Amino acid sequence: NSSITELLGVLCDRSLTGVSWKRRALGGVSRESFRRALKKCAYGALLSKLFQDGTKGSATGLSATATTPPRNKVLMICFDLRVAGCREEAERLEEQLERLPEGASSGLREVDAVLELLVHLAGSAPPPPTSF
Amino acid sequence: MASAANTNLNAVRETMDVLLEISRLLNTGLDMESLSICVRLCEQGINPEALSAVIKELRKATETLKASENCTN
Repeated sequence: NSSITELLGVLCDRSLTGVSWKRRALGGVSRESFRRALKKCAYGALLSKLFQDGTKGSATGLSATATTPPRNKVLMICFDLRVAGCREEAERLEEQLERLPEGASSGLREVDAVLELLVHLAGSAPPPPTSF
Repeated sequence: MASAANTNLNAVRETMDVLLEISRLLNTGLDMESLSICVRLCEQGINPEALSAVIKELRKATETLKASENCTN
């Protein structure tokens, strides 16, 4: 039952894994100061998005994509994958979507919100290295 | 009582496994630990679009730091 501030702190720590601090400390960038900067950056992104949403809602109303259920958004991604010739990936994605329990049976309170997050992060990581 | 808790734990585990596989197929870059943190943040009421912006910003910041390390090497 951690708070939002604690969880955001953990998320910042997670993104620091793999960064070497030995030589950085000599240059004046300590782990702690960078962690503080990351937290500031995280709160900045969080708040600016929330404020943007507030102005959007009052000025233009909800857009079509904002009201599309996340499961349908994943199906739209499956369609795009098929169009791009990635039939196997599309089928695997559809298969997993069918396996994903809905509502209370999932054991999570916000399974659709998590799916929505995954849709927003889709393709944001570098593609996995191809093996020869 | 204990059996209800076990059933719920199994449901959570299964849902998390499916979410991780979907995450992998969508190439989101989240591992199980980060995904678990995100699930808990969503359950605390954080807007998923705002959370995705936070994750992208954190990645950008650490990438810049790593790139500066490569330049000094």
